[in-house]
Amino acid sequence: MTTHPSNAARLTKDIVGSEYFVLFLCLAVFLAFAPFTPGFASRGNVANVLVACLPLLVLATGQTLVLITAGIDLSVTAVIGLGSVVGSLVMGGDAGWLRGSPLATPMAVAAMLGTGALVGCLNGLCIAWLRMPAFMVTLTSMMFCSGLAVWLARQAVHAESIYNLPPAFLALGHPGGLGALLVALAVLVAHLLLTRTLVGRWFYAVGHNPRASLVSGVPVAGVIVGAYVLSGLFASMASILLTARLETGSPNHGKTLLLDVIGAAVIGGTSLFGGKGRVLWSVYGVLFLTLLGNGLNLVNVSDFLITIIKGGVILIAALLDVWRSRIVRGS
Amino acid sequence: MSARPRHWIQSLLDSAPAALFAVVLIVFGLWSDRFLTVANLTQILNQSAATAIVATGMTFVLLTAGVDLSVGAVMFVGAGLAGKMALAGQPLALCLCVMAGVGLLIGALNALLITRLKLVAFIATLATLYIGRGTGRWITQTRAINLPDAFLALGSARWLGVPLPLWIAGLVILSAHLVLSNTPFGRQIYALGNNPEAARKAGLRTHQLLAAVYVICGFCAGLGGILALAQLGAVSPKFGELYEFDAITAAVLGGTSLFGGRGRVFPGTVLGAVLLKSIFNGLVIVQADPYLYPLITSGIVFLAVLLDSARQWIRAGS
Repeated sequence: MTTHPSNAARLTKDIVGSEYFVLFLCLAVFLAFAPFTPGFASRGNVANVLVACLPLLVLATGQTLVLITAGIDLSVTAVIGLGSVVGSLVMGGDAGWLRGSPLATPMAVAAMLGTGALVGCLNGLCIAWLRMPAFMVTLTSMMFCSGLAVWLARQAVHAESIYNLPPAFLALGHPGGLGALLVALAVLVAHLLLTRTLVGRWFYAVGHNPRASLVSGVPVAGVIVGAYVLSGLFASMASILLTARLETGSPNHGKTLLLDVIGAAVIGGTSLFGGKGRVLWSVYGVLFLTLLGNGLNLVNVSDFLITIIKGGVILIAALLDVWRSRIVRGS
Repeated sequence: MSARPRHWIQSLLDSAPAALFAVVLIVFGLWSDRFLTVANLTQILNQSAATAIVATGMTFVLLTAGVDLSVGAVMFVGAGLAGKMALAGQPLALCLCVMAGVGLLIGALNALLITRLKLVAFIATLATLYIGRGTGRWITQTRAINLPDAFLALGSARWLGVPLPLWIAGLVILSAHLVLSNTPFGRQIYALGNNPEAARKAGLRTHQLLAAVYVICGFCAGLGGILALAQLGAVSPKFGELYEFDAITAAVLGGTSLFGGRGRVFPGTVLGAVLLKSIFNGLVIVQADPYLYPLITSGIVFLAVLLDSARQWIRAGS
């Protein structure tokens, strides 16, 4: 090297190559919106954004685990709907199985988590043991679960919405309530699992090279099944949050989130080819998408323009990722 | 010694899509005597035409181990534009050209993103899906557009006793099939999908091939949009939504692999599209609970994917 990079160039490279790059982008979005939108930087709105992004955050965390193993889980939003209907049928409505009982809320939460874990387990078994492609397996389970959710609700209450959920359950959805706390804890645990444990290293190994992992004694099938079970569990946590917040059990909760989930993980820098990704990156991605959506909403941008901008942002994030890896490699 | 039964199982699994199709026809035929009539079978083919065309384009993309999630958005943007133009009194032919043109344009955009800017196909087409749906909603102002009767007449017109949509679908499928199986271009697509590195080293122009595949897929989506529009007669804000999954499912049902290099337009993908619509049509005829449709359809798709994986185990084992 005969030429010395100038300070400015080095600074650019430091920012672009930094792990916190997407966080810097969030800051940029925040600073860009704050002067033009009254109320954007208010404490109320910031709290609002943080609470609103929780369901997307858990979903993106689960998706990150799956993406790291070189898989994909398209069934998560259908799990939200199915979990919501199953939980509501257990605890509430006019036909609830345990309505009025003090056990209603814990049993419903257990049933919702169980639904997610079961769907995830079936997905994982098909992918790991039957060696079916993850995209098709989770696509069919998406079709099946969302169909089942509607059918169950229609059979039980002849409608798609189930009301009159017990107050103890609704309390889980309060901003800053127990639900939010537990979800934040779950995301933290997933982060620690990936960064601090042997199991976490297995996830990356399986995503990088499943054959080499198998030869070196990594329980590849177990890791893959585990990833999908966790993804299902995280999806049912999102289901609990959404059902409690909207005070209704419905197969339609979260239906529009699927592309946001994958978009958030990818904006954060998680690779679709496996072996690369972090929960923390996805947190940044979620924060970025949510801030952008919230800001655009507050400046009264129309709904279709928000969709177009989201598409553009995913594109730019992907381009930046290509550009970043070129810059970092070029150093 | 084990070679013979394995060979037998292999050929059985190879014809799994056709067998599944036969089972569906027989079951519904026994269930209702209105299913296996010439009128109803023509109806099924007519309903499959749009899906079959879009899935044909998707097959080209899947053969290169790519994916195109933007086909439904292409249909929506084209339909929205054509609807607005038709209401403004533009001639029908111009509207149809615009729909096909939108397909070519978005296909070219995908191709640019994937080959020049090196984006992953999944992400690039996910982004164009968002951008397309947003643009479509902007064009239609999120309102349904009822089209002039000329569009519907196009869907029900017949030539030599065969509905026009079938002629169009047949033409597209025939040319796609011939291109894939009988031209150097087709063989190069298979080569690229089987082993991109080897294809590049062998001197194939992989960038141009990839670009062509996405342009073809966009164009087919535009054509499929025309047929779907001619049958519906209206553009709703949900027009074309989730069509990408229908197209991928039809291709995979017909034996196309998501990992590239394996699959055929005819009979494969076409059979997949007709199979999907036959199930749907049959369920309507036997008056099944409409809320059960997705459960049954996903069950059959799952079975097809499972059989396809079984074929892979046998191949890997032998």
